[in-house]
Order: sequence, then C-alpha cells, then structure tokens
Amino acid sequence: MSARWRDNPKRELWFAWWTTVVFYQIFGLVFFVITRTQPPPSPGWDAARIVQWFNDNHTGLLVGFAIMFLITGMVAPANALIAYSMRRMSVSPAFGYAYLVMYALSAVPGMLLLCIALSVGAMRPDRTPELIAWIYDFAFLTYIGTMGVFLLGSLVWMAAILLDKNRVFPKWFGYLNLCNALTEVVVSPAWLFHRGVFAWNGLIAWWIDMVVFVTYTAVFIVQLRRLIQREDFETGPLPDLAGATG
Amino acid sequence: MTGTETRREQRHRFVPGQPDMWAFVLFETLLFTSYFAVYLFNRARNEELYLQSQAHLELWVGVLNTIVLLTSSWSIARCVQAARAGGYRAALGNAFLTAGLGAVFLVCKVVEWVRQFRMGNTLTTNDFFMHYFFLTGLHCLHLLIGFVVLGMIVYQLRSPARRSQTLVETCATYWHTVDFLWVLIFAMLYVVR
Repeated sequence: MSARWRDNPKRELWFAWWTTVVFYQIFGLVFFVITRTQPPPSPGWDAARIVQWFNDNHTGLLVGFAIMFLITGMVAPANALIAYSMRRMSVSPAFGYAYLVMYALSAVPGMLLLCIALSVGAMRPDRTPELIAWIYDFAFLTYIGTMGVFLLGSLVWMAAILLDKNRVFPKWFGYLNLCNALTEVVVSPAWLFHRGVFAWNGLIAWWIDMVVFVTYTAVFIVQLRRLIQREDFETGPLPDLAGATG
Repeated sequence: MTGTETRREQRHRFVPGQPDMWAFVLFETLLFTSYFAVYLFNRARNEELYLQSQAHLELWVGVLNTIVLLTSSWSIARCVQAARAGGYRAALGNAFLTAGLGAVFLVCKVVEWVRQFRMGNTLTTNDFFMHYFFLTGLHCLHLLIGFVVLGMIVYQLRSPARRSQTLVETCATYWHTVDFLWVLIFAMLYVVR
C-alpha cells in the first residue's frame, strides 16, 4: 500500500486537493462556529454594543484566529492546484502565473486583515470604545468589502477555461466563474450602508453572495478532483474519466 | 457517413450553441430572481415610499430602453440566422447593428442616471433608489460584458478560418439573456404599481 502511494505520480496533486478540502472545512468551522464572525454581526451597532460583542466572543476570537494563523499556509497548495489546472490547458502559461500572483495576495484581504484586526480588538479590551469600534469597522469592511482579487482571479480562470482546447473543465464551469465574479461586485455597496440588504450583513451583500460562494467552492473542489482523476501527464486533451487510472 | 453524423448531432442538440451557456442563463436567472424577491419583499413593507420614488422615473425612457433592447435581440437573432445560412456579410451587419442598439441603451441609461443624480437621487437616498441603482447598475455591467461577447461574434464571423456557428449561437444566447433580464427589471422598477 505504502509502496503504491510512493509510486503514485499523482500524490502531490492529491495532497494539494486534500489540503484544499481540509482548509475550507476548518475555515468554515472557525468563521461560523468558533469566532462567530459569520454570519457577520451588525454594522449598525454603537461603540458600547461592539465592545460587548468583543467581550462575549473573547475566547472564541483568540482560539479561532490562532487556528487560522496556523493554517494560512494551506492556501498555497490550494492555489497552486488551481494554477496547475491552467497549466494543463492549451492556453498560455500566463493565465496560471497571473492567477498565482493575484492569489498570493488573496489571503490578506480574504481573511488575514480580519483575523489580525479582530485579534487586536480582543487582546486590548482596555482601549476606548471608539478605537474598538474603529477596529471592528476596519475588520469587516476589509473582509467583506474588498473582493477585487477574487473578482479578477475568477475572470482569469474563466478566460482560461473558455479558451482551453484540452477539455480540462466543462465550459459551464467557466460561466459559473463569471457568475461568481459578478457577485463579488455586489458586495461593494457594503461600504455605504449601515443597515439593509446591502450592508455587510445584508440579504443581498452577504446571504445571497454566500450561497453563490459556497456553491462555487463546492463545484470547483469537485472539478479539481475530476481533473486529478483524469490527469495523464501528457500535453494533449485530457482523457475521459473511464480511461484514466487513479 | 458525414450526413448521418450531422443529423445525429442535430438530433442531440437540444439548444442553440453550447448547452453550457444555458447553465449560465439558469444561474443568472436564479440570482436575479433572488434580487427581485428581496426587492418585492421590501417594497411590500413600505409601498408608499416605493410608489413616491417610482414617480421620479420617466416611464417612457424605460419603454424606449425596452424597445431598443428587444430590437437588438431581433437583430442578433437575424445575425444567427444569416450565419446559419452562410450569409456572413449580413450576419456581420446585424452584429454591428446589435452593438449600436446596445450603445443607444447604454447612453439612455447614463443620461437617466445623471438626471436622477441632478434631482438628488442616489444609491443612498432611500430603499427604492438603492434597488434602482443596484439593479440597473448590475444589468449595465452585464451589458458591458455583452459588448465583449459581440466582439467575439464579430471575430468569429470575420475570418473564413473560424466561423464557429456554435460560438456565434452561444454568444447570441448571452445577449438574449441581457435583454431578458432587462425586461424583468423594467417590469419591476417602472411598471409595478
């Protein structure tokens, strides 16, 4: 068994794939359960209520974000696998490189700024409520309001999939990337509103976007798995699943 | 042999263009349906405000925009038809006509937005204008992507080496979606009383 694993030419790809799966599971657990930062608390609270929120979630914030800081590196194999999918396509390597460069940044607005800011807020409960409220605004606006990296990344992946002649992904997945990119635009009004459907916890800016994002993530994880199963390490079109050995 | 294959292919093709584009149409329709549901739900809770704000919109501008986009759908359909029959010059002409009508729509939209700004109505004025600017803005973004898509049709039609009928039809499907979404937005924002 172990000899087979050692000889398996796909082991690095499977490692990257499982890292992706495990990362998103932990990500969901930390954000939705441990730190209670998703669904996001209200942007309309006054400073006193925000301080109370930090006090209520003190332990959760520290434990949860400690886990996130430990596993941030897991996004690297995940992004590398996506870039690998583009290198397997018939398109220019520039697509994969552009994606990698952009997504090397993605963890910063995508989670790290929020994790750092909220950790600071939790670690310094003696600061004035106004400062705590500022930290709270900064954390959630950078996390929810800045989707440019993800928007462009989705568009690069979309263009690569639609131009590809090696049948690495089905074309509908390319169009799903466009759908995902369009919902990343929808979060931008969150900078303007403190309540309602476009606020950072709003029905349109958060809930509907989250449904799209979860669907998109689940779909791309399944599609990457299929890519690894079909991979033949050649340069031509990818064979169908039945002909591939796993 | 080739004839049989073509016939078989035709029997297997349920929709024009790539079936994948229809998956996109489905995703987008679901998304916009959810936006409309949110809009109608909020509208039902404060109908008076929505009716008052709606009175600031010029119905005839909305009607004009709808006619322009419906006409562009007609011209893109004629483009597909001409390309199917091998009339690539006519197809190109119709593709340019479609782009022209799209540009007319865009200009109308921008003029309408500027007029609203002058009247003091912006994204943050009230709930109605929040939805109005969001829905029309997001639709306009789809229209801008539509110009890229039309560019791809022109690229396909120009050279005899390309001319993929599937791609032309796939792109036309996208354009029809932009039109179809506008008709719904028009009904929701301008017509519903």
